[in-house]
Amino acid sequence: MNEDNHELGFEEVAAKYPDFPRLLIRKLDAELRGVALTERALERAKEEGCLYDASADLGQETPRPVLGGALFRDGSWVLGMEPMYLQFPQGYTRSGNTYSIDAVDGKLWLLDGDEPVEEVFFVPYPEYFGKKTSRGTPMVKVVSARLPGLLFVYLYNRCDFWAEQKPCKYCSFPTRVFRRKPGYTQEGLDDLYETMNEALKEKGKWMNIVLLAGSNLSGNSPYDNEVDEYVKVLTTLRKSFGTEKVYAKMVASAFSREQLLRLKEAGATTYQPHIEVWDEKLFEWICPGKAKYFGRQYWIDSALSAVEIFGRGYVCTQFVGGVELMKPYGFKTIDEALESTLEGADFFARHGVGPIAIIHRLEKGTVFYAQKQKPAPLEYYVRLMKGISDLHRKYNLSVDFNNYRCHPTGDMDRLHTAAREGVEGGN
Amino acid sequence: MSKLTKEIIALINDSESIKVLATADEEGNPCTAFKDSLTVLDNGNLAFGEEFEGSQTNVNLVRSIWFNKSVELTVRDRRGTTFQIKGKPYRYVHAGPLFKEFYLAEREKRGPDSELAGVWIITPEEVRNETYEVRKKEEDERHPFFRHFDRASVRKVK
Repeated sequence: MNEDNHELGFEEVAAKYPDFPRLLIRKLDAELRGVALTERALERAKEEGCLYDASADLGQETPRPVLGGALFRDGSWVLGMEPMYLQFPQGYTRSGNTYSIDAVDGKLWLLDGDEPVEEVFFVPYPEYFGKKTSRGTPMVKVVSARLPGLLFVYLYNRCDFWAEQKPCKYCSFPTRVFRRKPGYTQEGLDDLYETMNEALKEKGKWMNIVLLAGSNLSGNSPYDNEVDEYVKVLTTLRKSFGTEKVYAKMVASAFSREQLLRLKEAGATTYQPHIEVWDEKLFEWICPGKAKYFGRQYWIDSALSAVEIFGRGYVCTQFVGGVELMKPYGFKTIDEALESTLEGADFFARHGVGPIAIIHRLEKGTVFYAQKQKPAPLEYYVRLMKGISDLHRKYNLSVDFNNYRCHPTGDMDRLHTAAREGVEGGN
Repeated sequence: MSKLTKEIIALINDSESIKVLATADEEGNPCTAFKDSLTVLDNGNLAFGEEFEGSQTNVNLVRSIWFNKSVELTVRDRRGTTFQIKGKPYRYVHAGPLFKEFYLAEREKRGPDSELAGVWIITPEEVRNETYEVRKKEEDERHPFFRHFDRASVRKVK
């Protein structure tokens, strides 16, 4: 958005920001515009062992194709293909024409209209897909895999903010495919243990696990029962890995110091209480549940206090990039939006909390989708990703547990990985 | 068509030959690294394993693939036959069959706690024979006035 309200297209943005890799601009644009696979591409994915039919696991009669993943030449993943993965809704508000992936002259390409713009490569689906636990549970329902090297454990699919009709306005959590109520049973943990063991048999495949749950206010102290669930899962993962520490990303609510210490004792190495949006008034509007339980400062304090427990660079907080532009209360220009969000990112980075950002997906099932809001422009995301990566560099702050293989913020960090922590990179 | 002749391919596939990769950072500072796993793929591209995501070499290669910069590989055998291959990074592979092949080879070589971040594929664009005898002949022909007078080809030594 510039003065005459013209949104810059891909080529204009690429020309305006020559220091930002063209390929990464394409990646961001693909997320905003969406990517569809042609029949030829789907056939190719099948031939290469990259397309899994999850219909039997889901008890559906119609095919439910799931892609093992798609990567650009630089190893970063193709965004905008959510319908090809498990656990995503099927509807989005996109901006501009949808990209497609098709086979052209024997190679796979991302096409903008008829024009091949970037070569892409499919990734085989995980070997544990299609297997069942000894209790007969399909393993993909226990542990999901969304990106080439990322395991995904939804602890449960419930959020008290939704129950109170105070959901974060960009969140589609209750629409996700696998519904599980809070409260892992012993059988559920046994399934998790078996599935993890099976998944980990695949050599050279996995580098990251995400543990994710909705906010659960119940327990002796608020969020205590949520912590209990993380402890159960961490204890199970510790058994699978045979180690004291579990190198997983733990995306969770704002916990107290005592709760964080419990998690560390259970093997947690990282922690992410997401602030989502920095501006105080917008935080209250966009995240009314977080504002009520127990306010912006509480969420900030939780992240800061976690640095003392897990260490600098082992705590992250995420901004949902673009929500601060939503109408009617959001910022009117991308300059104002970026000034606010990067001010928040700078604050956290200064205190040892790694700021990260995602692209706001206008997903079906969210308040913003229902309101027919419009995605933020491409230029905003280029400036946001660059701004956040510059802060990582400025504060010499590693956010490796949200690296480019599992998070869009990590892409630009690839240019200064070797210089972090005051240690010279080797050859 | 591949830029690599049978002689160069044999040199690269010789496990005894030395393989060195040269890259540059943002400011042009050079960085060299041994790449023992260098191999020639069926389509004529070159591939080697990169052990560490955070190495300066890897960072330089990422910059090269993003901003279309060249890198150079030098290969030399025990007899001194040497080739320099300039090329562009075409792809960084960290999933799928090719990565797995390199990953398992790394495990075999260095044991169960070894790491392989990814496999870089380089498209060769220019090949130069840097073997001493070949280069000397070229230089003598092109620059005859850059020879010392006590060389046998310039003055008869009594």
